[in-house]
Amino acid sequence: MTNRLEFSDITKAFPGIKALSEVSFCAECGQITALLGENGAGKSTLLKILSGDIKADNGEVLLDGEPQNFKAPSDALSAGISVIYQERQMVSSLSVMENIFAGELPRNRFGIINYKKLKTEAQKLIDLFELPLDARMTVGRLSVAQQQMVEIMRAYRRNSDVIAFDEPTASLAEAEITILFKLIKELARQGKIVIYVSHRMAEIFRITDKIIVLKDGKFVADLKTSETDERTLVKAMVGREIGDTFSKLSRCTEQGEMILEVKNLTTKKVTGINLSLRKGEIIGLAGLVGAGRTELARAIFGADKIDSGEVLIDGKNIRYKNPSGALALGIALCPEDRKEEGLVLFRSMKENITISVLSRIRKFLFLSNSEEKRLSDRAIEKYDIKTPSINELVGELSGGNQQKVILGRATNELMSTRVLILDEPTKGIDVGSKAEIYQMICDFAKTGIGVIVISSELPEVLNISDTIYVMANGRISGVLTREEASEETVLELAMAEQ
Amino acid sequence: MKRLKRIFGSNYLALIVVTAAVMLLFFILNNNFLALDNVKNLMNAVSFTGTITVGMALLLIAGEVDLASGAEACFGGVVCAMAINAGVPWPVALIIALVFGACCGLVNAFFVNVVHIMGFICTLGIMGIYNGLIRVVTDNHPIPAYEPSFWKLGSTTLFGIFPLPFVIMITLMVVYGLILTRTNFGRTIYMIGGNRRAARLCGINPQRIITALYVNNGMLAALAGVILTARMHNASPGAASTGAIDAITAAVLGGISFLGGVGGMGGCFIGILLITVFSAGLTATGLPSYWQIVAQGAILVFALSVDFFNSKARKRRLERDEIKRRRLHFESRATENQHRETD
Repeated sequence: MTNRLEFSDITKAFPGIKALSEVSFCAECGQITALLGENGAGKSTLLKILSGDIKADNGEVLLDGEPQNFKAPSDALSAGISVIYQERQMVSSLSVMENIFAGELPRNRFGIINYKKLKTEAQKLIDLFELPLDARMTVGRLSVAQQQMVEIMRAYRRNSDVIAFDEPTASLAEAEITILFKLIKELARQGKIVIYVSHRMAEIFRITDKIIVLKDGKFVADLKTSETDERTLVKAMVGREIGDTFSKLSRCTEQGEMILEVKNLTTKKVTGINLSLRKGEIIGLAGLVGAGRTELARAIFGADKIDSGEVLIDGKNIRYKNPSGALALGIALCPEDRKEEGLVLFRSMKENITISVLSRIRKFLFLSNSEEKRLSDRAIEKYDIKTPSINELVGELSGGNQQKVILGRATNELMSTRVLILDEPTKGIDVGSKAEIYQMICDFAKTGIGVIVISSELPEVLNISDTIYVMANGRISGVLTREEASEETVLELAMAEQ
Repeated sequence: MKRLKRIFGSNYLALIVVTAAVMLLFFILNNNFLALDNVKNLMNAVSFTGTITVGMALLLIAGEVDLASGAEACFGGVVCAMAINAGVPWPVALIIALVFGACCGLVNAFFVNVVHIMGFICTLGIMGIYNGLIRVVTDNHPIPAYEPSFWKLGSTTLFGIFPLPFVIMITLMVVYGLILTRTNFGRTIYMIGGNRRAARLCGINPQRIITALYVNNGMLAALAGVILTARMHNASPGAASTGAIDAITAAVLGGISFLGGVGGMGGCFIGILLITVFSAGLTATGLPSYWQIVAQGAILVFALSVDFFNSKARKRRLERDEIKRRRLHFESRATENQHRETD
């Protein structure tokens, strides 16, 4: 039985960023310890190190003072550590009991599975936690919450002393959350070490005993839940130095008439969205990962199906069913995942620039070579794209230059773009290029384009947007102007329970 | 040189050398191999697989495949022969066969686009359906197509050496080569093959393009079947059983990636030449026909191995570059910070 889990000086760097630096804290048995921090604070990396998924560059995980050396997730499991991720890790075609006992099914003398014993053992566990489940049900047919319960029982059955939860309530309804919390409290009562990662403030106050706050990969605070409040926590999570990157920006000061209006838009992922965008305005969409920002952008762009509500362009309600319809109206999207959704990596930079306007650069039957070259050269000149030639494979360019290629495509003169949606435009981009991209965004606004920027970096959204829409749980939880907004107010809205 | 490289793809030199070496080898083994008659036979044999390969190549570049191409070719020939027997003038019979081929393509497109089955799997099933139906319709006997003016489609020779089917194939390859490299439509084929999600977000409608490609493929396969029927004077139910596999082998040998997005018509031509010469050569040397089947399978596996190896190497190179760039950047920032601290 392990009584104490300790992280000592954990450091982990990924190419380009330091995900964790010298994080130390400990968690005691019988307690629920929360890990809190905004996007990119290093919570997931820490969990991955705990589960043996990745190895820390420096520092140790200690169980009862014993340093551990996990080479693979199986090592962590046999040391008594179970991590329950948001994505279920079960065989959905097998039954509840088979999943609970996966890897250690009871067998008889001949090596054949003893189903009778399996069923009674599984039922014992289900009764212990008083869950509404039948051991013989197929896991694939259970609800998300029920699947999670099965996974917790599996962790319990393995005799894990440390059980960590990564955002366990992300897709649960209130009634299910109540059952889950009862279960988690039961685990703590039995003397387990429970680690609980969540963005949701209310939950943390409901069940945890102490709170570890991380910021930008660093340990910030270790607080007793009973002795702290929301305000203190939010303050600990935010606040960092912003260089003069933003004060140097030359902004657009004039806003024109309304170009895009979204009324009561509802899709599978977002509900009742109202939003309006003027010429020359920059709207920032803030929120935590999974709040529905990308999904809202995709719906406006025609990439996802709209269930109800309207999108008005220039005050007219126009229905388009796919991205090509949106592009024809002058709405362009630069997606978050450049490699998967933004670019055709194994084709040339030129082909990636002209792909959206091919039908407009035709001369008689054939594509016009000179026109393609002209458009590509224009983009290189306008955005200072560093490439050996326009025939270079786009996958060979650096992240910043790839992003500029996407911008060059979305804003070339044949597109007549009026609404530009940028999803995490500076993700994975170095600081120098970031500043260039901020200026470009302001320049777009100056030419009368309405810009919507999605970003998970708070200082970024706060400083480049004119208006900030904060999303939480697929809804808009607040609208602020740049003057009104601060990291605290935005984060509080982003963590709001609806 | 650069132009050659563009037309035939980057591995063209190796391919041409291999093809020439294979020809030479068979010439040494059998001195009649390069005799005029045999060369004509070769060109005829090339033209059937070649015509099917044109449609297949476009599908492969878009990241799709049609395993039923051979069966569609055979079915096209059967439909044409039956129409001629029913007293329809042969040009009309040809058009009926082409329309039939287009319908076959629509069926494939329906299952791929609407039902969302992987092309590889659904056309595998459809191939079985067609092969069975052909035997039902023909009672597993060749259907004679008695119409001397129709036979001319297969037997005419231009300039004394080039059989008409071969000329038709070359024309198709040139036209489709131009479509691929020079037109809007061709460019979108490469883009959806390279990254379908990105292409859709750039305003391309992948489903429409894929439908067009399957229909086109069905028509070209049917055309190949009709020409074969004209050459043989009958439509045989087992005539094109390996058509699709040969076409895929030829295309992949010629540098078209099975994973889509890469390749062109020039490489395709050499690929077709290579596999046809290879199998004809095996016949000429008197290798038992069962062993030829083994050899053909081996070539396909070989070509696919090279293709997957190449794609992996391409991906690895990009990843390596990315890591190198990031490390450089990280280091330069670190030294920058040091400077700042010492200042």
